[in-house]
Amino acid sequence: MKSIIKAVFAATAIAGIAGTASAQGVGIEKIGLAVPNLQADYFNQIKLGVEGYAKKLGIEVITVDAKGDTNTQVSQVQDLLTQGIDAFIYIPAGAAAATVPTRLARAEGIPVINVDREPEGEPGDTVIYGENILSSYEVCSHLIGLAEGKGKMVIIHGQKGTTPEVQRYEGCKRAIDENPGIELVDQQWTQMWSPDEGFSIGQNMLQAHPDVKIIFGQADAIAMGAAKAVEGAGLSDQIFVGGYDGDVAALESLAKCDTPFIVTATQSTQAMGVLAVNSAIAVVNDAVVPVRQIPNAVLTTCENAQKFVEKHP
Amino acid sequence: MEWVGSELAQTDVGDTVAAGGEQKEAGRFKLSNLFGGSTGPLLGLIALCIVLSFATDSFLSLRNFLNILDQITVLGIIAVGMTFVILIGGIDLSVGSVLALSMMVLGYLNIVAGMPMGIAIIGALAASAVVGIVAGILITEFKVPAFVATLAMMSIARGLANMITDGSQLIGFPPWFNLSAIIRHGGFLTTTVAIMLAVFVVAILFQRYRAGGRSLYAIGGNPEVARLAGINVKRSTVLVYMFCAMLAGLAGVTLAARLDAVQPSIGVAYELDAIAAVVIGGTSLSGGTGGVGGTIIGVLIIGVLRNGLNLLSVSPFLQSVIIGLVIVLAVAAETFKHRKK
Repeated sequence: MKSIIKAVFAATAIAGIAGTASAQGVGIEKIGLAVPNLQADYFNQIKLGVEGYAKKLGIEVITVDAKGDTNTQVSQVQDLLTQGIDAFIYIPAGAAAATVPTRLARAEGIPVINVDREPEGEPGDTVIYGENILSSYEVCSHLIGLAEGKGKMVIIHGQKGTTPEVQRYEGCKRAIDENPGIELVDQQWTQMWSPDEGFSIGQNMLQAHPDVKIIFGQADAIAMGAAKAVEGAGLSDQIFVGGYDGDVAALESLAKCDTPFIVTATQSTQAMGVLAVNSAIAVVNDAVVPVRQIPNAVLTTCENAQKFVEKHP
Repeated sequence: MEWVGSELAQTDVGDTVAAGGEQKEAGRFKLSNLFGGSTGPLLGLIALCIVLSFATDSFLSLRNFLNILDQITVLGIIAVGMTFVILIGGIDLSVGSVLALSMMVLGYLNIVAGMPMGIAIIGALAASAVVGIVAGILITEFKVPAFVATLAMMSIARGLANMITDGSQLIGFPPWFNLSAIIRHGGFLTTTVAIMLAVFVVAILFQRYRAGGRSLYAIGGNPEVARLAGINVKRSTVLVYMFCAMLAGLAGVTLAARLDAVQPSIGVAYELDAIAAVVIGGTSLSGGTGGVGGTIIGVLIIGVLRNGLNLLSVSPFLQSVIIGLVIVLAVAAETFKHRKK
């Protein structure tokens, strides 16, 4: 424990110096960043976090976008390595996080910083991911509170088998189990965490269960799609929709507070980007970084959304 | 550039002999005949390589060349099957889904059912073949247009792939399986790349030297005339769709090795990449002209372009615009050439 604390101090100290020093001073000139899908605001925010912070330090960032395809991502990582990167920030694409990118980078002695999740059996130097269980518990508890602890509920999941999908269900389920008045009547899975899937699945669920009171979408995109379906069905007064992530569009919608979508958990995505760069610098300078770094997500409702719109955490 | 020319000249002789009926044409259009009317794409590929060599230091190296071969393996194998389908005037939209189905069958047999890898691979290829045969029978016996039949198979195969594990991914292949996509034997060939090259060679030999290969051109040109000339058009069509599906399945096996994992959502829209490669390589979508040689160039163009744009750190959004433009350019150039003829 002591050594970890020391390492954190070392990392922050280095990062502090880095703020004024040149790129050579921090031991990194080029960072490779592999992103699954820039269409998703969540990943885009992380990218902005990495790029914005790295620019301040004078570090060049090469970003590649796999467009959701694992195979494309492996190719892109090969290309990153050809360009002589000093550190690799790896956000795995697809349900099955590929181990190959980590192995390739390791073979060249390049530090691997995993963000969002890490491939099973091939961990990087550290993994940074948003806390899921506690925050989704909070979101679902908030929704259940609004419904006064009773009524029918449905869940629209993300991509089946991914860590956030599993953990956000676990947290939400905990809230449901605490409230015997809540009946979970249906749950379905999206393939891409996308709004159109949220819309059509939501529409079908409303068709099957018109008396539902709570919808939890495991991502803001899904939840906002489902909220549109609720509006379309003319059930806005009866149904509360909750999401997750704190996407820019979702926060703006919450700030206006004019849809059934009324709660989310805002992840510190930009902070995660900064943390990833700092971890990379720490590893290159032989400081020990914690195996897991888990920034909290903040429960966000109509009341406090505006401040996150102004500055995304 | 010298070696390219000499290699062309050498193979050209064999081609002229094999082409038989096309001898008259071959006399005039030697180069284009060799690459299935794809001199344009070949020149484009060479130009692309030259530009990229100057644009970035990291492009022109053996290591990067081997990376590109790695990166085109899946597309290359699928595109060969797609070439034959398009040659006979068909289309196969199901290859991406078949690839996913093959991967899931492979994963299920090996990881869940605990069967040895050899049997799992045979099972994966067999499952793919069944999809291809069904598509072929729908097209020949029930007169369903190829577009619709394979569209249906695309949906069915994707659904089946998802059903095998209820949508989840599988990991836990034996270590050597992933290593076959990583270890470069003799510092050069990974097993998966070797498989792709073997597919290329066999396909070119089949297309050139076997009556079955030549008859595909006849079917694509005019199926009725081909039938009257004694070619069993129905049987050939079913076989072509079967082989296309099996190659998609084989590509799935190499992809599983590369990713060391299988997931049912993989391979979405791969059919479009494969069709793009075939079209860039000069095979006409209306059938009857073109060939595997051109497709290999088409695959290389796509592979080199993606690799080069990555190396140049071109923004991901701009990349997809550029790749689209290249497809337009390649096809427009081809059309222009045909008009001049």
